[in-house]
Amino acid sequence: MKYSKEELEEYKSQNFKERLKFIDDYTTWLKKTPNKEWSKQQNKILSH
Amino acid sequence: MEFEFKNNQILFDRELSELDEFVIKFVKILDKNKINYVLVSGYVAILFGRSRETEDIDIILEKISFEEFDTLWIEIEKEFECLNTSSSKEAYEEFLLNNTSIRFAYPGKYIPNMEIKFPKKEFEQETLNNKIIVKSENYAFNISNLEKQIAFKLFLGSDKDLEDARHIWNIFKDHLDKTIIIAKAQELKVLEDIINMVLA
Repeated sequence: MKYSKEELEEYKSQNFKERLKFIDDYTTWLKKTPNKEWSKQQNKILSH
Repeated sequence: MEFEFKNNQILFDRELSELDEFVIKFVKILDKNKINYVLVSGYVAILFGRSRETEDIDIILEKISFEEFDTLWIEIEKEFECLNTSSSKEAYEEFLLNNTSIRFAYPGKYIPNMEIKFPKKEFEQETLNNKIIVKSENYAFNISNLEKQIAFKLFLGSDKDLEDARHIWNIFKDHLDKTIIIAKAQELKVLEDIINMVLA
């Protein structure tokens, strides 16, 4: 087998931790950014 | 992000997305018909800036009689189309009373859609009873209590749900009671590791 189960689990876990880190960085930015600005940026992915 | 959180209200204004306008149009019909409802799950995180899309907006409606539902159906069908059935009786009896959701979208569209259900578990009824109101000049709608919303997301447990929980927690942590979230999550048998990781 090319990868062990442990290696794959570790890969998933690491990936999820990186996602949480992104959310922490993003919410830090959101909290200091005016609603008008962040919602305009968010709308680019929500309204297309 | 500017908002004012006091008691059971969040005063909050943002540039509306097409998704927000879809939701506002739908809840206006519920308000007009005096139907008690609460918006739950992913849309709550998206409303407050979460950077992801969604196919559906989950909404819990108070359990109403068929006569009330039929009146509501007629109003909804003027602007939306039910994706499950064209019969209000079937929607009510075969879906809602059987704890199965029905979905409404703009005519001829599939996404986004409003996914509607009656409360089937006690915690869903609690959510309906403990809602909070988000208000601006352009809209007002009911969303779930945020402590309970986070706990429920921890319970659902997919990566997306845990990320939504972290997002809401990060944005509102100064206004929320962590002990309530933990108690609710424990009631829903969420593992300690998950609670600790997301509410770090």
